[in-house]
Amino acid sequence: MANKQNMTHEQQQYQQLQQKHEKKRPVLKNCIKAFFIGGLICTVGQAISYFYIYFFNFTEQSVGNPTVATMVFLSMLLTGFGVYDRLGQFAGAGSAVPVTGFGNAVISAAIEHRTEGFVLGVGGNMFKLAGSVLLFGVFAAFVVALIKTLLVIWGVL
Amino acid sequence: MNWIRFIIALIILAGLTSCTDKQQAKDSRLALMKTTDPKPIVTDGKAGSDQAEKIKHKVSSFPEIYDVAVVKGKKGTLVAYKVKHLQRFNMKKIEQKMTKKLEDEFPKENFTVSSDYKIFLEVVRLNEKMHSGSISDRQADKRFNEIVEMTEDMK
Repeated sequence: MANKQNMTHEQQQYQQLQQKHEKKRPVLKNCIKAFFIGGLICTVGQAISYFYIYFFNFTEQSVGNPTVATMVFLSMLLTGFGVYDRLGQFAGAGSAVPVTGFGNAVISAAIEHRTEGFVLGVGGNMFKLAGSVLLFGVFAAFVVALIKTLLVIWGVL
Repeated sequence: MNWIRFIIALIILAGLTSCTDKQQAKDSRLALMKTTDPKPIVTDGKAGSDQAEKIKHKVSSFPEIYDVAVVKGKKGTLVAYKVKHLQRFNMKKIEQKMTKKLEDEFPKENFTVSSDYKIFLEVVRLNEKMHSGSISDRQADKRFNEIVEMTEDMK
């Protein structure tokens, strides 16, 4: 936004008028929605991991991998059917922060660029948003592992 | 229209969940959600059940945990337990403390200690199979060794 001193009188007047009519953002309501939908998604994840523990040979430590894969796959399907977008409209960050948001980011970018062809469109843009998740995720994991290794070598942990 | 779809989905879901295998006994089905408190089992003949009982009593005295299963096999003893939810941050420490205490108390035993739900579930299942008599002692010992191997993969 431009500086207030640089604005003409009319612009300032308009700003005031706009502020008067602008709807207030329901921050608290959005937070509550995000909290509950995010929690709901995590409950589904917990159910899936119990499913893998009960019926397959996964321990509590190794069950994370198939659970994450299943959740991402489910959200990819839901994005394709157009259900996840509505959930995102309703819950905002609650649907974007769990891993399911990652699947959504991949597939929605792929759908968006479908018209540009399979290689340059879908292939090139699929990881537009998800790519940064991977990059910083891997980098953060590297840094944390480095710190832990050093701490173990120095005998702190 | 949407409501009808939702209700149909619910009915299908309820139908599917009710069909999951009925031959499983009751305890193991809910072993991860409630306190099962299984009796200690001995796959190594009948001897040693007193000691298994003692081990279970000792482990149960820890205030941080709430459900203990003990299996005594030929090669050692497996102790599986559930940690109270707010104590789960201290899981490593509890495990170290418990291993030390058990080894001090029973120096001749070879202990495997695990707080993993999967291990607990498998112990409860083994317990049920042994009590229903659908598994011989030799098979039980084999299964016991498999469960111990599973804990070693985690380290």
